[in-house]
Amino acid sequence: MSNFFGLLQNENMKIYRRSSAKVMLIIMLGLILAAGLIIKFSGDQPKDDPHWKQTLAQENKELNKQMVSIKGNKQVTESFKKEIAINEYRIEHNLKPQKGETLWKFVDDTASGLIMVISIFTIIVVSTSIASEFDTGTIKLLLTRPIYRTEILLSKYVSALLFTVACLITLFIASWLLGGILYGFGGAGEAHLLYDNGTVYQSSWTIDVWKNYLLNCVSLFMMVTFAALIASMFRNGGLAIGLSIFTMMASSIVITFLQKFDWVKYVLFANTDLTQYTAGTPLREEMTLGFSLTVLAVYYVIFVLVGWAFFTRRDIKA
Amino acid sequence: MSNNAEANKPSVRLEHVSKRIGGKTIIDDLSFDIYSGEVFGFLGPNGAGKTTTIRMIVGLMRMSQGNIYIQGHSIKGEFKKAIRQVGAIVENPEMYKFLTGYQNLLHYARMIPGISKDRIMEVVKLVELQDRIHEKVKRYSLGMRQRLGVAQALLHHPSVLILDEPTNGLDPQGIHDLRNYMHKLSREENVSVIVSSHLLTEMQLMCDRIGILQKGKLIGVETVSEFIEKGAAKVRMQVDDARLAAQIVKDKLSIDAAAPDETTIEVPVDHDKIPVVIDTLVISKIKIYSVITVAKSLEDRFLEVTGGKSVE
Repeated sequence: MSNFFGLLQNENMKIYRRSSAKVMLIIMLGLILAAGLIIKFSGDQPKDDPHWKQTLAQENKELNKQMVSIKGNKQVTESFKKEIAINEYRIEHNLKPQKGETLWKFVDDTASGLIMVISIFTIIVVSTSIASEFDTGTIKLLLTRPIYRTEILLSKYVSALLFTVACLITLFIASWLLGGILYGFGGAGEAHLLYDNGTVYQSSWTIDVWKNYLLNCVSLFMMVTFAALIASMFRNGGLAIGLSIFTMMASSIVITFLQKFDWVKYVLFANTDLTQYTAGTPLREEMTLGFSLTVLAVYYVIFVLVGWAFFTRRDIKA
Repeated sequence: MSNNAEANKPSVRLEHVSKRIGGKTIIDDLSFDIYSGEVFGFLGPNGAGKTTTIRMIVGLMRMSQGNIYIQGHSIKGEFKKAIRQVGAIVENPEMYKFLTGYQNLLHYARMIPGISKDRIMEVVKLVELQDRIHEKVKRYSLGMRQRLGVAQALLHHPSVLILDEPTNGLDPQGIHDLRNYMHKLSREENVSVIVSSHLLTEMQLMCDRIGILQKGKLIGVETVSEFIEKGAAKVRMQVDDARLAAQIVKDKLSIDAAAPDETTIEVPVDHDKIPVVIDTLVISKIKIYSVITVAKSLEDRFLEVTGGKSVE
């Protein structure tokens, strides 16, 4: 592993020197810009409310009334309680609520959509990185060096994941800057209030955004690994890209259809959305975070082992 | 070269190498040695197993049986040590077209410890690409790509150079250059070169020894000169009446002579029997204007050895 760094440099060079890397960057920045402009000009920005404390107090009264009237439904009650607690906290600590879009809201809103785009990009990158060596025949020169095939495959996989990290950082910076330009950098200091078990506390937006990024990346991580598996197995970039993106897109629909079956919980895509445990309800009642992590780990190990076996064992004929 | 090479330890040794794919035997019990400083040619019709053998030597394919040693290191057991000694061009010189020539070389240099930027520029100079090394490979001609291919194979001072069909698609100048590099490396740096090709005349010019492969079996390893001399020579004569002359040769000496046109006959005959043929014709009043001995080409010999199978 002494020259693993050199292998990473090589793979990075092959990722970023391709013209597709520039196209991907432009598409990503374009989508962020488009999202920003659409949000900015489609919705009305609400007027500033000088008596916001009264408004919030009024709101809480209403919420309390409603809560009494619908008693019984635990989930709805819980969400009312949360809202009331946050409003009280704002009045108490003199934290004016920001209406409409703000810098941080924008950063948070763009996350899930853009991470889907980054998933597609990374699937393309990892599939191309593995399969194009076979398409062009460069695999013959690559594998006749004093480097084990395992190291080559690992360097390709790691460099693709580093590409994801680079994309996430770009996304964060670009959406932060655009959010600031469109909605004012004043929003940067906005308080981020969270509610947990009856208490309200202030948290950092940066940490929360990255937490959001990471949760969204679970699916990305699994699909990129899946794409690497298909590319190593069939040595065909188009197949790996197509199959992975199709599976990723179709998964949520299929999972909704299968929701009533007991065994759906063992399907990969029932477990990739971990936000079902942090906010919202799990797909099936018996599912827990630990269960999902176990299922993900099992799939991951299978993907890695099968992909590795195909890449390292098969003869190079092409 | 092969004379003093016999004294050396073999730089590449194949021991009972077999390859079976799906119950079919592609390579059958291949054993031979290649020595330092010699150019060894693999010859055989398409599908005879040349490429498979070369791919097993460089570790791209696994063998089903046997072992291959490069400078004493098994390609199976000590892959890194064995392959460190090898520079290879397997079929066309495939490079990353979206990178420059220099970036391609840098890419391969990073995979082997101890290759400096100076060494990269040294091989660039050797293959005379210094003017265009910073251009993207997609703008290179095939000859330039081939030279870049040679450069990447030489970066790490290999002691064994393996070229699979190296002249594919090269123009005469490119073939000439490649031949020169190979001879230079084998003569001056004592590198063993293994070449496979179906271009027989090329092989004749390039190789010291030739191994003929047919249906996955090695049916002979000989030096090029031995190989050609073993076959009978041919004599071409300008005469006044070719048809009559051919008839006489057939009747009196029982040799089947060909008469490609009215004044030329070609007589396949051993060197020491040539005067007998001339005597016979002169006695029969055939007028002879010229006699040329035509050495059998590698191609003729090859067809003879492989039983007349086309080489394509």
